[in-house]
Amino acid sequence: MSGRPNGWSFCGDRVRSAEQRGRLGAVNDPPQIPAGARSLGADESPSRLRVVTSGLFAAIRDPVVAILLLAGLFDGLAGNLVHSILLFAVALALGRDAALRRDGPSTVADRSIGTLAATTPWPPAVLILAAVAYAAIVGAFGRYSWPATVAVVAPGAIALVITWGASRDPRPGVAPLDPVGAVAWIGAFVGLALWELAALLLQPSLTTDSYAHPTISVLTDPLLVTHPGRSITLLLWLGLGWFIMER
Amino acid sequence: MTSRGITIAGYVAFVLIGIGLHLLGRTGRSRIPSLGAVFSRAMRTRSGRVGIVAGWVWVGLHFFAR
Repeated sequence: MSGRPNGWSFCGDRVRSAEQRGRLGAVNDPPQIPAGARSLGADESPSRLRVVTSGLFAAIRDPVVAILLLAGLFDGLAGNLVHSILLFAVALALGRDAALRRDGPSTVADRSIGTLAATTPWPPAVLILAAVAYAAIVGAFGRYSWPATVAVVAPGAIALVITWGASRDPRPGVAPLDPVGAVAWIGAFVGLALWELAALLLQPSLTTDSYAHPTISVLTDPLLVTHPGRSITLLLWLGLGWFIMER
Repeated sequence: MTSRGITIAGYVAFVLIGIGLHLLGRTGRSRIPSLGAVFSRAMRTRSGRVGIVAGWVWVGLHFFAR
């Protein structure tokens, strides 16, 4: 705190009020430069290449961007165009966000944990009924059909847009995890992923299922062949999405 | 035990480990956080939030979409 009263500014050793200078007084004043700031000379101006490079490194350093890019690459190689487009689009959007280093204060109100239900205009019973109706209808569509694709992409896109629109700032008040707990959960997730990867690599080929080494997808195939099985799975998928959006 | 049995047993074991960790975290007397706390921490940043929601969308696409 400088102790200066509001409406006063320093101009050399003279102190004048804004009222004395009139409305244009502020325009005639030189810009107020913080004491710690340095002026940029011609030899000090950052090169565009350096800015682009540092932005690129900032994007790649984000593990989420790297994971999404890798997943999109392998999904694309496996011939899953829609999946690959989704993963690449999200990775590029996040990478651009990181590269631009938008570290200014967010203009969107921050959302505390577990307040999505409160901001939804419909009561939970209506949402549950809508989810059941969605699962029953979409479950009737054949797997890997265009109607099923559109029906899954639509809620997914809405969820992504809502998530993107939330504050970009890290949420305050989320306690860090105990290292023991973090290691335990990371171990469980990575272990499951490696187990699945091992089963995938033990298949005759990446696109040929194996009875002896089934992946999770292969194990769920008998369930997803039937309409009720697809509807139950869709309901569970929506429930997982709700659980995630509530965080 | 067949290869298929071992593979399925592995999946079941990881699911049980996850349920166990979550229940342990729910007691509040453990250093293990609940699954919800893990997600909340992972979704603290924008990239974490968007990344996890993208993962959820991908699961739906993987099982149902072209």
